[in-house]
Amino acid sequence: MLATLAQAVVNGLLIGGVYALVSIGVTLIFGVVKIVNFAQGEFLMIGMYISFFLASSFGIDPLLSLLISMPCLFAVGVLVQHFLIRRVLALGDMPQIFLTFALSLLLINLALLLFTANYRTVQTPYSELTIHIGPLYFAVAKLIAFAIAMLLSGLLWLFLHGTDLGKAMRAAAQNREVAMLMGINPDRVFCVAVGVALALAGAAGSLLMPFYPAYPLVGQIFVLMAFVAVVLGTLGNITGALIASLMMGIAESLGVQFVGADSGLIVVFVMLLLTLALRPNGLFGGWAR
Amino acid sequence: MHKSNRYTAAKRLDRRDFLANSCGILAASAITGFGIRSSAAADTINIGGLYPVTGSFAQIGQGCVNAAKLAVQMVNDAGGIKSLGGAKLNLIVSDVQSDPTVTRTETDRLISSYRPAAIHGAFASALTLIASEVAERAKTPLLTGSSSDQLNKDRRYTFTPFSRASQFALAQLQMSKLVSDQPKVAVIFENTAFGTSTSNGLREQAPAQGVEIVLFEPYSAGLSDASPLINKVKASGANMLFPVSYLNDLILIIRAIKQVDLKIAINGGSGGFVIPDFYRNVGNAAEGLLGIAHWNHDINENAQKVNAAYQKQFGEFLFEYAGGLVAQTFMIADALERAASADPQKVRDALATLEVSEGYAAMCPGGRVKFGPDGKNIYAHPVGVQWQRGDLATVFPKEDARAQLIKA
Repeated sequence: MLATLAQAVVNGLLIGGVYALVSIGVTLIFGVVKIVNFAQGEFLMIGMYISFFLASSFGIDPLLSLLISMPCLFAVGVLVQHFLIRRVLALGDMPQIFLTFALSLLLINLALLLFTANYRTVQTPYSELTIHIGPLYFAVAKLIAFAIAMLLSGLLWLFLHGTDLGKAMRAAAQNREVAMLMGINPDRVFCVAVGVALALAGAAGSLLMPFYPAYPLVGQIFVLMAFVAVVLGTLGNITGALIASLMMGIAESLGVQFVGADSGLIVVFVMLLLTLALRPNGLFGGWAR
Repeated sequence: MHKSNRYTAAKRLDRRDFLANSCGILAASAITGFGIRSSAAADTINIGGLYPVTGSFAQIGQGCVNAAKLAVQMVNDAGGIKSLGGAKLNLIVSDVQSDPTVTRTETDRLISSYRPAAIHGAFASALTLIASEVAERAKTPLLTGSSSDQLNKDRRYTFTPFSRASQFALAQLQMSKLVSDQPKVAVIFENTAFGTSTSNGLREQAPAQGVEIVLFEPYSAGLSDASPLINKVKASGANMLFPVSYLNDLILIIRAIKQVDLKIAINGGSGGFVIPDFYRNVGNAAEGLLGIAHWNHDINENAQKVNAAYQKQFGEFLFEYAGGLVAQTFMIADALERAASADPQKVRDALATLEVSEGYAAMCPGGRVKFGPDGKNIYAHPVGVQWQRGDLATVFPKEDARAQLIKA
């Protein structure tokens, strides 16, 4: 019983790492640019396809292709911010929602057109490998994904707290007008923020590829969890999103194990509802960014 | 409900269907062009094929079309329909796009524009039900490999040469006896109409077959991680697993089982489990997995011959549904030959009295075809199959087995 419980926690924690990469991206864009990016899951999908095609055409390991998918998606993020999001920033919520939602639809349908609806998997030597520690087992591919996800989150934290650009980003997040008065160029900061967020989604895609099939709608599976994590962890709060993602992964896994496999998500949503009722600003509302 | 999992999955993915629909006009005009071009010859008999060649099932639908073309070519190369002066078959393919509305209009259009002597299609049960209603009203015979038992209710023009959904569950339960004398089965199923009805069918028939169900677990389709679910299967102490799932969840389930190093026999039933795409995605982990099919390419010499021709041309083995419709094309040819007419009503009557036990038309498990008053082939039964070295081998029942069952 205890072993089953511990195993359920391990399973949840590992997949929570992937949720974290997606939700940190969403919350970063929201915190800095003040826009909800509904297309975040689709950038994860693009990351997956980049890794898939690099693996199937050139035999590049999906984990190595992280080094390609992240810069590619960073560039995409800069372009998306510069040519699309920037133009609707002054227009209020509705055009912004429509823009990112339309982008999501466009990317899904483009993927269907270009890559078809077929499932694509990559077989790596470690795809089915596990490490056994006592009664517990750790799937190697998921363990690597978790470790790299945590590493990237840590690097992002260092970037935001230790570099001028990172500090400028946090300043713009806290008060755009004052930041502008202090000589911070918001356009540049926003481009970097969206670029970094998309790069994280791309990283999540590459990290998923060794154990998850790619298909055009794959982003939708992960983005739902990401949005819940973002709200749970307080919109715009990166540490909050990280902790909430891990909590949700564990809650989902425990739900499947002890409530029922079709009700794993119920536990997650009960958590969300309780949080919204008791702490409307999210679990980490009082925390500093 | 055997075929309907593919369809259920499509319904889940409404957005992708939306795209398929918006491209439909283009596709339809392209296909019409194909029809007109190839029906130019004078002595040809139109037969129709309804398959989803765009949208989410494009790849499987395209496989069906390839097989249908191959079958027509075989009939024509063998001299066509001799009682009609060697008239050649002309296949008109219509794209039903995995969409019920499109299926209705396309079936209508196909029948009214081309007056086909007979039609075959349409892969997913839910689509076939609609096509068969339209064909019934237009008094045009329809042959299908779709397995919904509903296709045999109040139909005079629908013929089903292969086993029915109700027979699949029984065969799947009986197969578990091959693996263990005391099968303890875990059933995990997606909580959709398809998953629920299939798993209920299994649960109802299990006691009579002496099969104990130790876990009966619905899950939400579209898993992000299968390990919690497999953790539960492991805890149940089952020695056999029946996943009732679509391909993306299946891939995760099978990988999670390998990761836990759980020694359990798996029978994935039919549908997405018995197509080449499954092995391409799951790879070596698919070795030894069991499934159920209404047709397999090794059941007899003729099937092996057609399979070789198909494999040479398209690079993969002839899968269940596509292989079955090669046999259907020859059944239509046999009916045309005896009716000595391309009139749909006469072809229907000839199909109703069809009785074959040799040749490509009898290329079915059991090797015989004769339709009862409900349009069911009275000799039809499913076969149990196993993935062996990337190929699908028939291992059940004993009289159809072409390979030894490999036990894990």
